[in-house]
Amino acid sequence: MPLRNAHPSVRAGGAGRTDEALPPPAERRSPRPVRGSRTERLAPYVLIAPTALIILALRLYPLLLGVNFSFTGDGERNGTAVGVDNYRELFGDPLFRTALGNVGLLVLLLPVAVAIPGLLATFIYLRVPGHRLYRSVYFFPAVLSPVIVGAIFNLLLAFDGPLNAALSRAGVSPVDWLGDPDVAMFAVVGVHVWATFGMALVVFLAGFATLDSALLDAARVDGASLLRVIWHVIIPRLTRTIQFVFVTTMIGMLTSMFGLLYVMTSGGPEGSTYLPEYYIWIQQGQMNRPALASAASTVLFVIMLVVGLLQITLLQRAGRDD
Amino acid sequence: MSRVRPGPWLAALPMSLLALATLYPLLFTANVAMKTRRDYVLDRFALVDTLRGQNLETAWTSVGMGRYFVNSLIVVTSSVLLLLLLGSMAGFALSRLRFRGSSLLYLTFLAGLFVPFQVIMVPLARIMADAALIDTYPGLVLVYVAQFLPFTVFLLTSYYRTIPQEVIDAARIDGNSVYGVYRRIMLPLGRPALLSVGILNALFCWNDVLMSLVMMPSADHRTLMVGVTSLRGQYSDDIPTFASGVLIAALPVLVVYLFLQRQIADGVAAGSTKG
Repeated sequence: MPLRNAHPSVRAGGAGRTDEALPPPAERRSPRPVRGSRTERLAPYVLIAPTALIILALRLYPLLLGVNFSFTGDGERNGTAVGVDNYRELFGDPLFRTALGNVGLLVLLLPVAVAIPGLLATFIYLRVPGHRLYRSVYFFPAVLSPVIVGAIFNLLLAFDGPLNAALSRAGVSPVDWLGDPDVAMFAVVGVHVWATFGMALVVFLAGFATLDSALLDAARVDGASLLRVIWHVIIPRLTRTIQFVFVTTMIGMLTSMFGLLYVMTSGGPEGSTYLPEYYIWIQQGQMNRPALASAASTVLFVIMLVVGLLQITLLQRAGRDD
Repeated sequence: MSRVRPGPWLAALPMSLLALATLYPLLFTANVAMKTRRDYVLDRFALVDTLRGQNLETAWTSVGMGRYFVNSLIVVTSSVLLLLLLGSMAGFALSRLRFRGSSLLYLTFLAGLFVPFQVIMVPLARIMADAALIDTYPGLVLVYVAQFLPFTVFLLTSYYRTIPQEVIDAARIDGNSVYGVYRRIMLPLGRPALLSVGILNALFCWNDVLMSLVMMPSADHRTLMVGVTSLRGQYSDDIPTFASGVLIAALPVLVVYLFLQRQIADGVAAGSTKG
């Protein structure tokens, strides 16, 4: 291959018209279409083709296919157009409505899920005694699979498990964490936060690394309280990071709790811990209703699109502030 | 002294309690895994005084965790190697080569980032079934690659942008083709990023359960995480064996974490600052 390229002088001469001082062989600086042999010109396409093919065929095309599916029927009506029947059925299904309600609950809990790692990151940044250790300990559950985390918490949250044992020692009556429809969803979200806050913590710390420490020192010299430092120095300087954590935490809640739900509650008790992703899986894999599942997928995608667009708007606003 | 000082000290107590709460669940599980069934029923909290490997052995052989472990190893290794190869090729082209359609492709890949598996699960399963790739290793590998390729391309593209153009120009003058530059410059210089992205991808693939559940229906092909989910039904009355299975699935990740913590955290941080 290098042999084909053994005429750099010719190419340099060609490029020399635009730039006489340097003889750059690089296509990058040339405003004209790339010169050189055919193989060389095709090289970028050869390098990028497999990736483009895979992403188009196995990511974007299925998305269109899925939206299309959602307007066709299941079972006997397989393949025929049924209009919005699937969506009508979907929103009439109490399980799916529970799933949407739980999404609402996640949105409400989102600030807590962001504030916890944010506060911890602040303390670590301010060099609490032992901050290095905390950082690596807190991050560690984030590398465990939700399935493993779920299995472990099945043991811990069992009615006769360690948590209830500890509570009873403190004089609190035991709670049926995973068996009580009013409690189970909170228990699962709590475990999800336990398992993922380290991820957000690391993102926050990366944001802190860009902070000008002179500002903090100045605030300290002025005798500002910690709350004031957080409110007036840290939050305004870290808006981008905070927004990023908000969005990734939300997306994480919408798309990476399947393992926990599958292992800890299987959507129960009484369907109280359904989320859209779990609903999709049940309809596709267990109920053999792929078209209905596709409709649920489309709804989930719209929810995520709203989250994503919100991020872009917020980021642009923050960009203007800068 | 300034008033900021006492805050951190006051925070140290709740923070160490939280650290304990972070570690305790796994320690509890490891302790249970060493118990006999009888010990567990009598007192599940008491610390074991000897390290019994009996349950781990049972989980590895008769429960089939060993088989699942090998399945996971095959799928994860192939996926990560393929991801790094394709991701670095695309990342090099997007960051350092100028060609028609490059920004359109970049945007297309960006769109790929925002399509979670749950949204395309149904049609993707159908496509895979039509291609006779369902319940095969290559099928699951392809699904993993498609899932994590957008993210991989992004991190590698932004890393390759930090390699000075002069280095590439010099290599071109020395007579390297585009492919030569990729092989002799981009791959070696990109090693830190490849390592970081590779570890993250390995974790993602190793930890996945949903894709594997959908794409590998037969028990023979189960990956380790799907194996863990099947433990629950089979061993609900034998908690120590259950805990052993969980421990087997968690151990490789713990080992990786102990040694490569830095790279994992750096990868996550890089994803956040460049995303």
